[in-house]
Amino acid sequence: MRRHLAALALLTLLAAGSACSSSSPNTPAPAPGQPEKVTVGVIPILDVAPIYLGKQKGFFSKRSIELELTLASGGAAIVPAVVSGQYQFGFSNVISLLLATSNGLPLKVVCNGNNSTGVDGSDFAALMVKADSPIKTPADLAGKTVAANTLKNIVDTSVRASVRKAGGDPKAVKFVELPFPQQPAALQAGQVDAVFVVEPFQQAVLAQGGRKIASSYVDTAPNLTVALYFASQQLIASKPDLVKRFTEAMKESLAYADGHPDEARAIIGTYTQIAPDVIAKMTLPKWPAEIDRKSVQTLADLALSDGLLTKTADINTLLP
Amino acid sequence: MKPLLGLAVFGALWELAPRLGVVPAQWAPPLSRVVRTLLAEAREPRFWSAVGDTLVTWALGLGIAVAAGIVVGVVIGAVPVLRTATASTIEFLRPIPSVALIPLAVVLYGVTMTSTLVLVVYASFWQVLIQVLHGVADVDPVARDTASVYRLPKIRYLYWPTALPYVATGVRLAASVALILAVTGELVIGSPGLGQQIAVAQSSGAVSLMYALVLVTGLIGVGANILARFAERRALAWHPSVRREVPA
Repeated sequence: MRRHLAALALLTLLAAGSACSSSSPNTPAPAPGQPEKVTVGVIPILDVAPIYLGKQKGFFSKRSIELELTLASGGAAIVPAVVSGQYQFGFSNVISLLLATSNGLPLKVVCNGNNSTGVDGSDFAALMVKADSPIKTPADLAGKTVAANTLKNIVDTSVRASVRKAGGDPKAVKFVELPFPQQPAALQAGQVDAVFVVEPFQQAVLAQGGRKIASSYVDTAPNLTVALYFASQQLIASKPDLVKRFTEAMKESLAYADGHPDEARAIIGTYTQIAPDVIAKMTLPKWPAEIDRKSVQTLADLALSDGLLTKTADINTLLP
Repeated sequence: MKPLLGLAVFGALWELAPRLGVVPAQWAPPLSRVVRTLLAEAREPRFWSAVGDTLVTWALGLGIAVAAGIVVGVVIGAVPVLRTATASTIEFLRPIPSVALIPLAVVLYGVTMTSTLVLVVYASFWQVLIQVLHGVADVDPVARDTASVYRLPKIRYLYWPTALPYVATGVRLAASVALILAVTGELVIGSPGLGQQIAVAQSSGAVSLMYALVLVTGLIGVGANILARFAERRALAWHPSVRREVPA
């Protein structure tokens, strides 16, 4: 009899969980004039500075949105939380979203997230090697090991684009998975031949004498859209007005952050622990209000040719 | 003071290794720098709210696990049929690592304290349950017969005193496991607490702060163990195992 108790307990747990997850997106709309509580899952990186700045500037509250920003350790935790309705919106990179939708997860993008600067040699992410490395261009990476924070995602796709552009063989590059924070030390210790780092770790590699050999996001596409804000299709169908207001507020936040980099830098100091002198030096991403659809299509094509996707992704089902 | 000697040697090694260049100071800062960062961080309200969140998750998870472990353990242990029937199920469920349940917990409860709590309770429950089961099985046959003859309530006079030292051990083991899982959950899931702060420090490249927070989790662990040992001695003051430790 007790044998079944554990199974019973698990079932109750599942029932309780699914009951609460299915109920949250269907909560009754608040009375007019009452701000609606919205939870957004973000990652503690500089890319999401606009949403923090927009919250501070009141772009959300003036549209009756009471914004709650929850820090997750990575996009992997955000996607399921958005699907189950724990979060109304989430932040994730383009490839992760393409993969999620190709696996049948009901997601849809609501707004642009952040883009590369589009300036070769001066982006917020870079492919870097040690000061005394014989590697001069991405083409020299054949047979070498490159650290990527997640395998089969936007980093290796972009690095392969750099190698291809430099005339090398992208298939000959070996990737190892290593979180961004550990990459500068691994490069210095010679555990990997090259790293692909984003800020603030680009500054850490520069501080130890490392060299940039490519701006892979720039090599992938001009003005590459790197990440996006998204919601579940269920929320978009059940609360079109909320989604519209969130998107408007988000666009205003993106435009403001893009036009006021000093305020963006200041807000980064509030939700991260990046040292103030590093914040002052970092290269910020671009925050255009509109999605660069062409670059998303490029990423989808690369994901298909690199074997991340098994069939062609229709970016129009993902993008608004 | 011998236990402190080990600690002092460890501290000295931590201080010297980066200073002598054995490990790069940029990625493994010496103890003194970590302590200075910690003192600065201790002035921030966010630090104390993170400590509070972790302690609440820990205490709540431990409380639920201990209560459930004792009740389930005594009931199963006292009824031989139940014990036989559940033995294989327990042995199947017990070794499942709590962290393997993270995806399930996140889908059910999102990036919340509840998710972490599920992990904490799951991991520490078995520690208590197994000890209670052994404790209840350890009843002295003579005591059992005596209790039957005098018609004493069995749980109060037979099972509870016999199992109590085992329960105390179970609680002490569970206290450490619960802390480990509380910080792990916060770190991996991202629910509020010290683990989340460690993750933020890590993704910000704030190496010294990251070690400072790790140091704090260690200190909390030591505190939890001292507390559990103190409670154990109070509850078992009558027991030979504790009495023997008192110098004559």
